[in-house]
Amino acid sequence: MSVNYEQIIEALWETIYMTGAAFSFSLLIGFPLGILLVVTRKGHLLENEPVSKVLNIVINIFRSVPFIILMVAIIPLTRLIVGTSIGTAAAIVPLVFYAGPYIARLIENSLLEVDKGVIEAAQAMGATPMQIIFRFLIPEALSSLVLALTIAVVGLIGASAMAGAIGGGGLGDLAITYGYQRFDTLVMFITVAILVVLVQGVQSLGNVLSRTVRRN
Amino acid sequence: MIQFEGVAKTYQSGKQEIHALNGIDLTVETGEIFGVIGFSGAGKSSLIRTVNLLERPSAGRVLIQGKDISTLSSKEIRTTRKDIGMIFQHFNLLNSKTVYHNVAMPLLLAKTPKADIEKQVTDLLDFVGLADQAQKYPDQLSGGQKQRIGIARALATNPSVLLCDEATSALDPQTTKSILDLLRKINKEYNITILLITHEMGVIREICDKVAVLEAGKVIEQGSVFDIFSNPQQPTTKRFVRSVMNDELPDSLLAQIQAAESDNAIYRLQFTGTSVGKPFMSRVSRDFKVDLNVLFGNITELQGVPYGNLIVEFSGEPSEIELALSSIRESDIHIEEVNNYVS
Repeated sequence: MSVNYEQIIEALWETIYMTGAAFSFSLLIGFPLGILLVVTRKGHLLENEPVSKVLNIVINIFRSVPFIILMVAIIPLTRLIVGTSIGTAAAIVPLVFYAGPYIARLIENSLLEVDKGVIEAAQAMGATPMQIIFRFLIPEALSSLVLALTIAVVGLIGASAMAGAIGGGGLGDLAITYGYQRFDTLVMFITVAILVVLVQGVQSLGNVLSRTVRRN
Repeated sequence: MIQFEGVAKTYQSGKQEIHALNGIDLTVETGEIFGVIGFSGAGKSSLIRTVNLLERPSAGRVLIQGKDISTLSSKEIRTTRKDIGMIFQHFNLLNSKTVYHNVAMPLLLAKTPKADIEKQVTDLLDFVGLADQAQKYPDQLSGGQKQRIGIARALATNPSVLLCDEATSALDPQTTKSILDLLRKINKEYNITILLITHEMGVIREICDKVAVLEAGKVIEQGSVFDIFSNPQQPTTKRFVRSVMNDELPDSLLAQIQAAESDNAIYRLQFTGTSVGKPFMSRVSRDFKVDLNVLFGNITELQGVPYGNLIVEFSGEPSEIELALSSIRESDIHIEEVNNYVS
C-alpha cells in the first residue's frame, strides 16, 4: 500500500472537517433562505412576489452548476474570502456555495409539509409571523428537517471528495491521488469503505435524531 | 355582537372570478349561538373567516362590537384575534407538542407568566374533561378528544366570541353530541357568542338559537331555529330540514294510497308548543262525522319547545270534513292540504 495509516486518518479528519465546516456555514445561509422561500410564497405568511422570484432564480442558478465546475468558477471569490484557492480551507468556500442553496430547497420542502391548517390556527390565535415560524412551522417540521439535513450532510461528504481536485485533501483526494492515479487498489478500497461507513453512520444518526425530535 | 354588512368575497381563479360571498347581511347577537348552514361551496368557510380576517372581504364590512375590523392595523388585528377563539374541522393541533403545550400555546404567545399558564391550562383541561391526558400527544387521542384540546386552546385567551368551522364534521354522531354539549356549556357558563358553520342540520337543531341558510354566497333564509324548522320557505332550507326531521310519507304508504285511488283528503298538521298535548283527533271525530287516519307522524323538540307533525287522511262527507278542518284551524294547529303525494 502506497499510503500509511496516519495519512488515512488525516484524510478522514480533513473530510470530516470540510464537511462539518461547510455544513455549518451552509446551514447558516440555507436555513434562513429556506424559511424565506416558504413564507414569501403566494398566499403565505409574508407573501412577496419579487423576493420570492429573485430568490428562486438565484438558488436555481447555483443548483444547476455541477460542483466540479462551481469549484473552479468561484476561485477568485474563494481567494478573496480565505486568501488562497487551494487547500482544505479553500475547498470549504465552494462547498458552502454548493450546499447552501441545496439546504435552502430541502428546508423549503420540509416546511411546506406542515399542514396549512396549523398555520391558520396560529394566525387565528393572533400569532405574529415570527411566532408562527418559530413556534409552529419549525417545531412541526423538525423531524422532517432533521432528515432533510441528513441528506445534505451525505451530499456534502460526496462533494467534499471532489474537492481533492483543487487540493482540498480528504478521503476523495487520497483515493484519486493514490488509488486512481497510482493504481493502488487497496487504497481505493479502504477509502471507499471508510466513506461507506461514514455515510451509514451519518444516516443512522439522522434517523435516530429525527425520531427523537418528532415530539419536541 | 358581530355584524356582516354587504360582505362580499371574490377570488381570482385564473381568468375566472369566483364569487364566494355575494353581499351577506347578518347580525349575530351577543351571547347567542348562531349557525350558518349550507352545502359545500356555498361560502360558509369564507364567511366565518372574514370574522377574524383569515380572509379579507372584497367588499362590505364586518363589525365586531361595532368596530369595523378591516380598518385595523396588523397589530390591532392580532389583538382582536385573541378575543376570537376558533376551532376547526381537522383540529389543527401541533402534533409535535403535548396536549398541555397545545393548550398553553396562546398564552405562551401572549408571554403570560409560567405560573399563570400552568393554572389556566390545568383549569381548561379540567373543563373540557382532559385533565388526565395533559402529557399525551394529539396523535394518541381520539377525534373527540382532539376537538376538546382545540376548544381548550381556543378558550385560553378568554375570548368573547368562538368560531366553529365544521367543528363536528369529522366526528361520529356520539362524539358530535358530546362536543355540542360542551359548546352549549361554554355558551352558558362563559356567555361566549358562538358562530358556527356546518352542513349538518342536526347540529343546528341541537344547539343553535338562530340559523342562516347560505346558498351560492347569499343568505337565502334566516330566522330562529324554531321558525326555520317548523316553516321552511326555500327549497334548499326544506331539504336541510327534511335531512333531520323526516316529514314525508314513507314510499310504501304512498304507493298504497295511490293504488287505492281514494279521493279522501290528506292534510299535514303541525302542532307547536301547547297544542301538542291536546286530544284534537278524538274531539274532531266525535264532533263531526269524519274518520281520521294517521298516515305518518312525529313529535320532536326544537329549542326546548315540542313540535309535532302529522299527516292525516280525512274520510267522510265533504261538508263534514270542511267543518272539521275549520274547527282544527281554530285550535292553534297549522294545517295544509298535501295533494302532491297522490298523483
